[in-house]
Amino acid sequence: MRFSFILLAAILALYSCNSSDNSGKISADAQRAVKTKATRFSLEEKDDITRLVINDPWQNASGEQLVFYLVPHGEVIPAKISPENVIRVPVSRMICMSTTHLAALSALGATDVIAGASGTNLVYDASLRKSIEEGIIPDVGYEGSLDRELIVALRPDLLMAYGVSASSSEQMRKMSDMGVKVIFNADYLEEHPLARCEWIKIFGLLTGKKEKADSLYSAVTENYLRLAEMVRDSSESRPAVLLGAPWEDVWYISPSNSYIGSLISDAGGQYLFDDLTAPNSLPFAVEAVFRRATRADVWINPGTAGSLDEIAEYDHRMTKLAVYKSGSVWNNRNRMTPAGGNDYWETAVVRPDLLLSDLISILHPRLLPDHELWYFMKLK
Amino acid sequence: MNGPTSRLSAGMIFLMLLLLLFLLFALDLLSGSTHLEMRDVLASLFGSGTEHGEIIVMQFRLPKALTAVIAGAAMAVSGLLMQTLFRNPLAGPDVLGVSSGAGLGVALTLLTLTPLLSIRSGSPLYGWSMILAAWAGAGVVMTVIMTVAARMRDIMSVLIIGLLLAGAISSIVSLLQYFSNETMLKTYVIWTMGNLGNMSYMQIKILALAVAAGSAIALLMVKPLNALLMGEIFSKTVGVNLKRTRLILLATASILAGSVTAFCGPIAFLGVAVPHIARLIFSSNDHRILMPASAICGAVILLVSDLISTLPGSGQIVPVNTVTSLIGIPVVLWIIAGRKGIGRRF
Repeated sequence: MRFSFILLAAILALYSCNSSDNSGKISADAQRAVKTKATRFSLEEKDDITRLVINDPWQNASGEQLVFYLVPHGEVIPAKISPENVIRVPVSRMICMSTTHLAALSALGATDVIAGASGTNLVYDASLRKSIEEGIIPDVGYEGSLDRELIVALRPDLLMAYGVSASSSEQMRKMSDMGVKVIFNADYLEEHPLARCEWIKIFGLLTGKKEKADSLYSAVTENYLRLAEMVRDSSESRPAVLLGAPWEDVWYISPSNSYIGSLISDAGGQYLFDDLTAPNSLPFAVEAVFRRATRADVWINPGTAGSLDEIAEYDHRMTKLAVYKSGSVWNNRNRMTPAGGNDYWETAVVRPDLLLSDLISILHPRLLPDHELWYFMKLK
Repeated sequence: MNGPTSRLSAGMIFLMLLLLLFLLFALDLLSGSTHLEMRDVLASLFGSGTEHGEIIVMQFRLPKALTAVIAGAAMAVSGLLMQTLFRNPLAGPDVLGVSSGAGLGVALTLLTLTPLLSIRSGSPLYGWSMILAAWAGAGVVMTVIMTVAARMRDIMSVLIIGLLLAGAISSIVSLLQYFSNETMLKTYVIWTMGNLGNMSYMQIKILALAVAAGSAIALLMVKPLNALLMGEIFSKTVGVNLKRTRLILLATASILAGSVTAFCGPIAFLGVAVPHIARLIFSSNDHRILMPASAICGAVILLVSDLISTLPGSGQIVPVNTVTSLIGIPVVLWIIAGRKGIGRRF
């Protein structure tokens, strides 16, 4: 995988030597074709039955494959398909372990299938919160402390889980011994925001809203690519972007091939760690990040900080950074509930175009003069 | 084997250890996650470096090196006091529940109080509330153990009660973790991994004062400590007030370990292992030697751990606790194997 990227980069580098005036565009186009498609699932439709394959459903999985057959109610299950891999669609009762799953169902207008959820105290969506308060959507607990009896009692057709590791996934898989069908959603492992959004197709197939999901996905994709192209075609310089915040001695750095790294690049930013490629975040010494951060123009997502003072209180050394002094610091805390629920972790997954607009407006305000920030706010 | 080695050679060893400490301290300033030329580091120390070089040396490397020296020395002396008091080679600040008490304080604050009072990480209250909570947690455990110690005649019962208390506290912390969300859990787990950086000079001053006070009391207790090694009956006959000595030693050890844990998180292993290393190097049981020896060895080992944990040049780091354990445990194993047991020194 990495080798093929290096090869691609090498070819592009050679190519760009010949046509230096539009090299940036070519490399970005070529890379986009590779990167924007979801890599963790594939769909194969035959007659009325859809074969859904989920590849490497959790972090550090390799060669792991989960296969499901989505069969409409009433349809006869072909003999060669094992009934335990069959999910009857449309499902009418689904338990969601992540707020991003709720956002996908909400975007499709299919919230009535939500039979239970995890972390309901952190839900942002007002109508979902109402259902939670009224007890229509009960909380089934967290990964380590699942309320198994409640899950079984809710009689779900499906439990949509996400696996952080193989061992935590094993706990979820045990739910299937109790007759609960479990699908692992690996959207959060996708490296491109459009790939992450593409998972809405699965929700569409599961809830019988395939057309709606497909049109939503293509509208978002079109909008996103149009915005990214506008940035690429502009003559704007690329401001250097610092990301995240230190935690004690450690600063976890997202690699350039991550979700947020792709967003920054598409929004016309120069990520300070664009030379770092890795499957997940890496712990860096604060000193090392600080050294690079001295040349940052914009600082995005500084942890949970809601103001510049909070950053200073947390690590006073950050006040020495030019980017801190200039006040060009933005966090994803514009839409939050008092309990800590954040829309950034909810609907942004299905609205990467809106997220990109925010970032473009932060990095290149001249390109989107009328855009009002949705997920982000400037820290004061 | 039991008597102290000749004064001259002990003095030489001290000189060498101090030299080593100085060299490691310098090395810790010179090497870090990013590359700085030696002359830039020196210039920064004397206030004539480049702006960023000066920030990196004065705000990142110097506070961390100072913290490593203070914390390493304090944990080692605390461990030495505990081992002699309980006449047990496995005693240490973590065994008596001081570290887990501090952990309970932090867990309670992090997982219940801060969300309840909606104190957010980064707010002015947050950093200090963690430190005060750790201090309070260590203090409460210490008070409980001292109350027990004042009533019990047998010091071994106190040790066992300390162990039980530590176990009970860990269970409470597990319970709190079980009911907390992922962010808080991560915060707590990172706290438990130990942390030497991100301390302001103000915090370092407070830690240094607490450790200086604890060490001063410890130095005053050298004679009763030596007497304790000969057994409690012997101590009584030479005029040691056992009850008072115990209480003073427990309080001192807790002030030392509790303060370090409050500021740096639980620094694993040092408290138990370093006194053994000091005994080995000096072949002595005399606390006049062991006390400063443990302090210097503790500082040296924490400096080495810090140097390794920054994985020089790579930019990445590993938790300092994992390093202290990984380099320390083999050392202790080697000592135990080489000496065919360390029990008879007590």
